[in-house]
Amino acid sequence: MNNVVVLDNGAGLIKAGIGGERDPTAIVPNSTGRPLSSKKWLMADQLLSPDVDLTSATVRRPFDRGYLINPDLQSSLWSHIFSNLLNITPSQSSLLLTEPLFNLPSIQRSLDEIVFEDFNFKALYVSDSPSLVHLYEASRRPYGIVSKAQSSLVVDCGFSFTHASPVFQNFTLNYGVKRLDLGGKALSNFMKELVSYRSVNLMDENFLMDDVKEKLCFVSLDVARDLQIARKPGNDNLFRCTYVLPDGITHTKGFLKDPEEAKKYLSLYNDEAATKQQVAAGEQTDKLRSNDASRRIDLTKNEFGLTNERFLVPEMMFRPADLGLNQAGLAECIVRAISSCHSHLQPLLYESIILTGGTTLFPHFAQRLEMDLRPLVPDKYRLKITTQEDPILGVWRGGSLLASSPDFDAMCITKAEYEELGSARCRKRFFH
Amino acid sequence: MDEELSNSARRMSMRTRKVAPKMAAALASSDNRTQAMLARLDALESDNAVVEQQPLDDDDEASLDDEDQVFHKKYPKGTKRKTRQAKALEHKRAPKTFLELLHEANLESLPPHVPTYLRAAVGPPSSISRRHFCTVCGFSANYTCVQCGMRFCSIKCQTIHKDTRCLKFVA
Repeated sequence: MNNVVVLDNGAGLIKAGIGGERDPTAIVPNSTGRPLSSKKWLMADQLLSPDVDLTSATVRRPFDRGYLINPDLQSSLWSHIFSNLLNITPSQSSLLLTEPLFNLPSIQRSLDEIVFEDFNFKALYVSDSPSLVHLYEASRRPYGIVSKAQSSLVVDCGFSFTHASPVFQNFTLNYGVKRLDLGGKALSNFMKELVSYRSVNLMDENFLMDDVKEKLCFVSLDVARDLQIARKPGNDNLFRCTYVLPDGITHTKGFLKDPEEAKKYLSLYNDEAATKQQVAAGEQTDKLRSNDASRRIDLTKNEFGLTNERFLVPEMMFRPADLGLNQAGLAECIVRAISSCHSHLQPLLYESIILTGGTTLFPHFAQRLEMDLRPLVPDKYRLKITTQEDPILGVWRGGSLLASSPDFDAMCITKAEYEELGSARCRKRFFH
Repeated sequence: MDEELSNSARRMSMRTRKVAPKMAAALASSDNRTQAMLARLDALESDNAVVEQQPLDDDDEASLDDEDQVFHKKYPKGTKRKTRQAKALEHKRAPKTFLELLHEANLESLPPHVPTYLRAAVGPPSSISRRHFCTVCGFSANYTCVQCGMRFCSIKCQTIHKDTRCLKFVA
């Protein structure tokens, strides 16, 4: 049985596994890091092990702004993943690889070189992420509108940027794709900048800040109101929470001081009665606690507090202009992508918006997007935003499906073809 | 600080002349401010914050040498000869950035109907209104710093801003 390696090569995370399976074998950062204490660069999965102290670690990534710039580093990361995590021999397997939309020809050439000359893969298929997400969603709901109409609008909020891409009959309509140059990395860095200026200097702590962002950030449904709440002192402030930094001795990873405190804001989005109950309960527990000693920030204990940063950071996805980036927000990005398509396709696309990518994991992301989008969309069109159950893996699962389909072998370019025709001619087969 | 500014045009001593171009540039601002803005957006895409701080220090030294330059060259004196080996190492160490690759790809030369990386960008927002958040505390900011154009919301934040961050981006 010939096996297909499915590799969703994101700028932030590599998702790698064997085609046909439900979940990838490895989900590891696409980077190497070097902690202060050592001279060795740690590869991908080694960065995730719990006993590594990543304080002030230097990071190197093969990607810059979402595109591959360092093929050597990428190749060494891949070889690490193939031999240690997947345990495959490349010369006996095919590869399904994702690449960013509008990949530059020079980058495609160097990718092909890695695949066929460094690793000797038998065959290669290159796909873009929107079509794979579409494929996966269409197969999940065979009678849903996505698969009946054979079209969807995939919004991929990734690590380096966000793409809104119309997909029609499993092909991405590349003339309709719109890109917003904001992604998870920029948000993490923005958060880092805010925290470093306001409380503790964490400019070196990439991994820590990612963790803070993932655990604490959420999308606000009413920014003006939430800013007012964030200003309140003491118990009325539903957003304040404290994050404890690693001390390097007892714990090497940071953590939330009080996970309950971090969830308090959720009461805003439930009904009023529940809110009052929760607040009352909160007051009682607080009285029990020896007067707000726990909520004051203790500078000797290396922790920092967050209030409005928690929602102002993801907010930038919706209004990049606030950050000084002269680009339209996510909602407008979607509208522009859709309106550049054929007018018969537009109502269908508005009804089948699919959110994918790690940045969409912020709580209330989809609701906020719908709130922003509705005023921009004509009344006569229905609007439906679908979230994926696991947005980080959506692309990979689509790839896994494609790899297990019977036609897959016919779609690939083989090593022999590559050797005869070269990279550029082979690439024409993939229509991008 | 303000006094120095207003007098800087008239005074002729060496010391003020050293300061003047910097300050003038900071005041003339609009261009400089956009530069600072772009630098900041650039920083948001960087991996390690440490890497950027290194050249900043170099720049400060360079600015003492040639007074007239407002924008400092990154490497003021590239006079040291590099051996072939060093060059090869340097080439290995620094892969091209994406912007360099983009420039090399020469996408502008393609006919206008071909969708490319450049044409896929969303473009500017339809409404130019922009919310301003205080750079110190994050709440909505009604005031602008006269010197550097950053925002703050209250006198309290203004003092903090002046003490810590003001002009750092611009000067």
